[in-house]
Amino acid sequence: MAATLPAPRGRIDFVGIGFAIALSVAIIFPLIVVGTWAFTEVWRYPNIVPQQFGLRFWNQTLSRADVWSALTLSLQLSTVVTLLSAAICLPAAYAFARMTFPGRNVLFFSFLAGHAFPKFGLLVAIAAIFLQLNLIGTFWGVVLIQLVGTLLFMIWIPVAAFQSVDRRMEEAARDVGASPLRVFWSITLPQAGPTIAAAVLLSFVGTFYETEGAWLIGAPGIRTMPVLMITFINNQMVIQYGAVLSVLLWVPSFIALMFARRVIGGGAFARGFGG
Amino acid sequence: MTAVSQASARPLDQGENRRRPYGLLLVAAPVLLVAWLVIWPIVSAVGRTLFQRSDEGAIEFTLDTYLFFFSDRYSLDNLTVTLWTTGMCALLLFVICLPIALYLRFSAGRLPAYVQSLAIFPMFVPSIILSYAFIRVLGPNGMVDILLNAVGLPKIRTPYLTPWGPVIGLVWDNIPLTVLILLSGLGNVSNQAIEAARDVGARWGQVLWHIILPRIGNSILVALSFSVLGIFSSFTLPYVLGPAAPEMMGPFMQRTFRDVNDPQMAITQAVITFGFCIVFGLFYVRSVARNQGK
Repeated sequence: MAATLPAPRGRIDFVGIGFAIALSVAIIFPLIVVGTWAFTEVWRYPNIVPQQFGLRFWNQTLSRADVWSALTLSLQLSTVVTLLSAAICLPAAYAFARMTFPGRNVLFFSFLAGHAFPKFGLLVAIAAIFLQLNLIGTFWGVVLIQLVGTLLFMIWIPVAAFQSVDRRMEEAARDVGASPLRVFWSITLPQAGPTIAAAVLLSFVGTFYETEGAWLIGAPGIRTMPVLMITFINNQMVIQYGAVLSVLLWVPSFIALMFARRVIGGGAFARGFGG
Repeated sequence: MTAVSQASARPLDQGENRRRPYGLLLVAAPVLLVAWLVIWPIVSAVGRTLFQRSDEGAIEFTLDTYLFFFSDRYSLDNLTVTLWTTGMCALLLFVICLPIALYLRFSAGRLPAYVQSLAIFPMFVPSIILSYAFIRVLGPNGMVDILLNAVGLPKIRTPYLTPWGPVIGLVWDNIPLTVLILLSGLGNVSNQAIEAARDVGARWGQVLWHIILPRIGNSILVALSFSVLGIFSSFTLPYVLGPAAPEMMGPFMQRTFRDVNDPQMAITQAVITFGFCIVFGLFYVRSVARNQGK
């Protein structure tokens, strides 16, 4: 967008104002309504604003045992999946970026396979395999299914990061006698690090919110936070429970939003999706 | 590379290990995982539905489960509503996102930056929170009803639990990627080409039709493939916002697998969704691969 000229002076950007208003209404307004519900004690139809604000339902929601066990479980799952994913994907990403070996291209693109099929259909096919292995309803079953979901991100983004490291700086460091490990630690990692961190964060948050695999593979034993949300919504329990959980759940997403801006801003993200 | 580094050859150095496949070892774990949990389930699903054990114990080729699916009224209704939802979402996404992307491409400043961050924002709203917000805003006695009532208008016919519920939710959810993909495609349209056309008197409609659209055709198809793949077998939004019957393929497969406890039929439904999406999947892989190759 840098190539375009600024609009001529004095012209009001009506189109832009139109889009800004329409998108604000369609995207921000629903979230404000949810936020309002979270801090509402009494709000009866047809009042435009709640009759009584308060934190009573925060206490009630947070004193529910199922909320805490779901939250702990979700955090455990996300941590285990992200660590496993980083452990197997980052070395692979380095290899894809820097080494030549037979079948490199085919293997690199094989990670697309999971995204070339409709996701839930694939999950059902995996669930059929897990059924024979008795992995349905187990922690590790859900770990495996969520791990598969992180592979593409955790390999492709770090590969791009490793490739964008200035090779001449690495070679210069080698020339003055630095060991490969030293080069990796002092030259490669500082340059590739931030992008890799963003990929790790994305995979953590993505796993935290992953609903479909957890629902299909995990039920009934494994109840993650999003799965608990679905039951809250379906059972039409106290409206505020859902609102409080939404606000709580949105915090990690907000952190991701802040950190991921650099990854998404680069346009590399859309290209990764084939744009 | 100098003689010094040649002498101190180490495994991480690409120059020396070209013939030694250390790389294969490093990539083995994720590749095997893909083979086990993506490739094998698909092959196995197709195999298990086409070759079943007959009553005598012999394994034979059969189309029974497929014939059942395509002769069962309820299954066909579910398939139809899935196709309708996917088509409607794709259409709405195109109509909504192309103007946004065009606006973002051809303007600069603070307002477009604000519009862009709004358009990308849904990417950071998990679909389960979106479902909840949808119910509170468009559901019965939701915020829209409250506001309409306040100005003396009748309530809306709520889209919650109708086929329109998932459509609205899925469009909302897919706006960011569609805009980003289209915007990235519009990056290939040079300002000179447009200025040249404008200089010879082309109207904006003609510029769009003759200059812009042909150049972003590929991006439009990528965006289409991506949203079709995502929407066709979506689960959470149709499950929470959609009607109980007919239901989309996602909830249908889930119910067949878990509640009806008929994995065989669920896999058949999965293979049928693969069949309907195969063209989009192949196209998606091809264009991503081509892009990466550049």
